Amino acid sequence: MQHLEVSDVRAKYGTLEVLKGISFSIKKGEIASLVGPSGSGKSTVLRALMGLTPITGGTVMIGNERMNYSSAKEVRAARDRMAIVFQQYNLFQNMTVMQNLTLAPLKIKKWGKTDVITEAHRLLGLVGLSDRANAFPDQLSGGQQQRVALARALALKPQILLLDEVTSALDPELVNEVLDAVRKLANEGMTMIIVSHEMAFVREVADKVIFMDEGHIIEVGKPADIFDNSQTNRARDFFSKILRH
Amino acid sequence: MNYGFQFGVVWDNIPELLEGAWLTLQLGCFAFAGGSLIGLLFATIKTYGVWPLRFLVDCYVIFITNTPALIQIYFLYFGLPEVGIRWSNEACLLIGLTMNAGAYLTLILRAGFLSVRVTEIEASQTLGMSLIQQVRYIILPHIAKSIYPALANFFIVVLVMGTSVGALIGVDELTGQAINLSTVNYRWLEYFTVVAGMYVVLTFIASIGLALLGRWAFRVKARIF
Repeated sequence: MQHLEVSDVRAKYGTLEVLKGISFSIKKGEIASLVGPSGSGKSTVLRALMGLTPITGGTVMIGNERMNYSSAKEVRAARDRMAIVFQQYNLFQNMTVMQNLTLAPLKIKKWGKTDVITEAHRLLGLVGLSDRANAFPDQLSGGQQQRVALARALALKPQILLLDEVTSALDPELVNEVLDAVRKLANEGMTMIIVSHEMAFVREVADKVIFMDEGHIIEVGKPADIFDNSQTNRARDFFSKILRH
Repeated sequence: MNYGFQFGVVWDNIPELLEGAWLTLQLGCFAFAGGSLIGLLFATIKTYGVWPLRFLVDCYVIFITNTPALIQIYFLYFGLPEVGIRWSNEACLLIGLTMNAGAYLTLILRAGFLSVRVTEIEASQTLGMSLIQQVRYIILPHIAKSIYPALANFFIVVLVMGTSVGALIGVDELTGQAINLSTVNYRWLEYFTVVAGMYVVLTFIASIGLALLGRWAFRVKARIF
């Protein structure tokens, strides 16, 4: 059974249509990666799923439930099931790492305090930051902040995790520590949609690669097929440019 | 120099000076609190309001911040009675100072509104926060922290410079009280030495209070010295 099913989803920024009918699906535990040139709409897919960019058409199903984005309450239902990690980490700067992780579970979900804190410590261990629980974001490196953001997203126990170019703002030597954390999640069976320019990483962890261009999905397939043997000129052209070095 | 200091006369009138200092503190606090409400309302209008309202707020801010507080208070105390509006001198001082503080606080609070990071708002939305929860947990703490130093400085300005204007319309706050007393026995030097000291003590107490509040509420590392 498909875990997430996106059918003919459209989205606009003002009058500019950035998603022109996107359809794809992923199974539970599967990792899909959205790749394609800048401006192709990859990040918009994730933002639309999270209700940050309004959807103007199409349907989104999670399990048997149809996600509607027409009211604040329904948008929150989608946000209950999915979590996103942004390129720029977007941590709350005036809160400690621990507060960043526990704010939503405690105040929004109203889960029990002991459980939330135990879980937060487990997640910090998972991303290798057990010793920085009381640090503030501005005391951490970019890679550390991004790992905190990853832990914060997981603290809400999402069914699906969306990663929006999580390593694009990082210095090259910090990229691996974040990718290592994502790799651990992949091994734990987390369902993920990853927008990334790290093609070697995508090839390693993704079950499915979705190539996008100008608001359309051009080609879908296993990483090896897409990267080495793409069927469309547009995809072949793109990969020949970025995989050459 | 042959001046014989006589602090004894000042000492005898310390209770009157303390009364003046108490009035100064009250006027400063009330003007600042009232000004904060005006500032909060007007900064909200300037950030989110429609243009005719924004224009009115702009006019208010421009007029107030570009004229001396003394003129504004003279306008209320000497000007308005000509058209039949007559308030007591203390009321004129308090209203004038509140309106004056309101304009500056509009600017300070607006800077705070503009400093809220869109990225943090988006993060809080995706974590499932409602608008009210975003305001409570993310927006207000951020604004409070970022404008706290400017607010604390401005409070001292209102407390010291603002209230002392009252002496010129006969309000018996600390400066007014010092003028009254020293006119009786011409011990200007002694009185104003002591009053200067009292102002320093007053602002020192206020600074400690503000710094403690800032540390406790907003994690601001405020320095007292």
